[in-house]
Amino acid sequence: MPKGIEILYSIETKSLTKSFGDLTAVNDISFSVEKGEIFGFLGPNGAGKSTTMMIFTTLLKPTSGKALIAGFDVMKDAKHVRENIGFVQQETTVDEYLTGRENLLLQAKLNHIPKNEINTRIDEVLELIELSDKQHQAVVTYSGGMRKRLDIAGGLLHHPKVLFLDEPTVGLDIQTRRKIWQYIKKIHIEFDMTIFLTTHYMEEADNLCDRIGIIDGGKIQVIDSPQNMKNALGNEIISLVIEKNNNYDSFLVELKNIEFIKKINDEDLKLILFTSNGTEVIPTIFQISSDLGIKIVTLSLTQPTLDDVFISYTGHEIRDDKSKFNRKIEHAKMKRLRA
Amino acid sequence: MNSILYDTYTIFWRELKRYKKSRSGVLIRLIQPAIWIIVVGNIFSETQPLIQSVGFEGEYIEFMAPGVIILTAIFTSIFGGVNTLWDRRYGFMNKALTSPISRSAIALGKMSAISLIAALQASLIIGIALAIGVTFPNPLMIIPIMGIVILFSLGFSGISVTLAATAKSQETFWGMINLLGMPLFMLSPALFPLELLPNWLAVVTKLNPVTYTVLLVRELMTGVSEGGVPILISIAVIFAFVLAMVAIASYVFTREVNKPF
Repeated sequence: MPKGIEILYSIETKSLTKSFGDLTAVNDISFSVEKGEIFGFLGPNGAGKSTTMMIFTTLLKPTSGKALIAGFDVMKDAKHVRENIGFVQQETTVDEYLTGRENLLLQAKLNHIPKNEINTRIDEVLELIELSDKQHQAVVTYSGGMRKRLDIAGGLLHHPKVLFLDEPTVGLDIQTRRKIWQYIKKIHIEFDMTIFLTTHYMEEADNLCDRIGIIDGGKIQVIDSPQNMKNALGNEIISLVIEKNNNYDSFLVELKNIEFIKKINDEDLKLILFTSNGTEVIPTIFQISSDLGIKIVTLSLTQPTLDDVFISYTGHEIRDDKSKFNRKIEHAKMKRLRA
Repeated sequence: MNSILYDTYTIFWRELKRYKKSRSGVLIRLIQPAIWIIVVGNIFSETQPLIQSVGFEGEYIEFMAPGVIILTAIFTSIFGGVNTLWDRRYGFMNKALTSPISRSAIALGKMSAISLIAALQASLIIGIALAIGVTFPNPLMIIPIMGIVILFSLGFSGISVTLAATAKSQETFWGMINLLGMPLFMLSPALFPLELLPNWLAVVTKLNPVTYTVLLVRELMTGVSEGGVPILISIAVIFAFVLAMVAIASYVFTREVNKPF
């Protein structure tokens, strides 16, 4: 963005916090999303992604802190926020017994689209998501992917300034997922809107987002572009498994001293080294290990993926829900449901 | 102000669309009142002398037909709010809540749709009543009767929406509905003349807005005034009940949907 022009943020938060009783789902989050960006929140289930999105879409009030959407305060000016956002929820919310077109008509009315524009807007989005030919069929006959597309179309019918997509492709097969990504990119170009999405799919974040915020345990661990994140780890990863040995600690210290190694993840006898010059580092590793009498069981050299980025910042894989935090949130949710 | 009407109509339109698409539901909801009018109406046909003792000339089935019309209205409208729970569970509610429409418009739209649906169901029951030989001395009276049924159902849909907004589960909702629906129906002169009730029961019955609605509909339908309640009093009670319920429902709904579900 050129200098001297005031940067307009579509989303701005300051120390945003949300607690449910004694557990903090969103913990002191501050970040901004620039106008026109596709920004993704990446994190495991229960990391605080959906809670943050519910605050942004005025469904939940923050415990403390501030959030501005399209320049409007979610607390003080919820009505203006609602006029400027589109929200596509994780579960598909289209009315099954209405036709595709009727669903969009409902969405248009909910969002106060002027009467004389409703039909052209609906035609426009139907074409975009390629559902024009099925528009008069009841949604109950649609496939999962078609329903999702219809849902997304409903979210952008009123040309919102910010479009929120909560886990846009969860539960869809990989071909459908790729297709949805294409639509999202198309929408982004065609309507020039800011898109904020949450996902727990690395590939999705990598594929769609200009920038990603990795969120875990209610806190943002890092924000950057997917490429920079991967570059920061160096361009190669060495994973090695070693046998138990008393010199383990000194082995780690020695490894840390190798200049090309940027970061080491220690998973108890399984080591992941992020490095910029793997082929030269490997002989050094062998040298150190034989000096210390450590036996290497396996060793491999790979390119980093966003998965590795995630592990490097959170210390665990996105798939394993091993944090206690998750279970607590789920428990609290269940309690609320039963009450 | 215009926008709240427009928004109410949007929700009303959506609810009616859904009703129209569920044809089997229309029939299923008719079964119970049809059983009442056909079975109970005939079971008690020998009570005609009792009915006559309070000045009613026709058969028992004609006496209780207005009661069953109101029964249909009560149960259709008190069940009607249940989709509020579905909407919260399956995301439509969040969709509506994140759009610029007002919260009370959602409640009002739901209530007006429920009351119209209840009136449609009640009119089908009137059809059944006519088919099995119940007669209207003045067929034009069907117009004010429908008006009363719509109004009365609006009050009951208010109860339903209030309960659905506060209940967190289907079980709680249905429990509350059963707790309320049947007693409100039973504690009215729907099946039995008010004059013949024991005193204490008559007092309780007179506190029930259903009573006034049944008396009013019966008077319009058969021309016989019963229970000594003037028409204007009945109309006033119904209006007060409806206004109170609609106000409570919009207030409670707005408060409850702002809490996480």
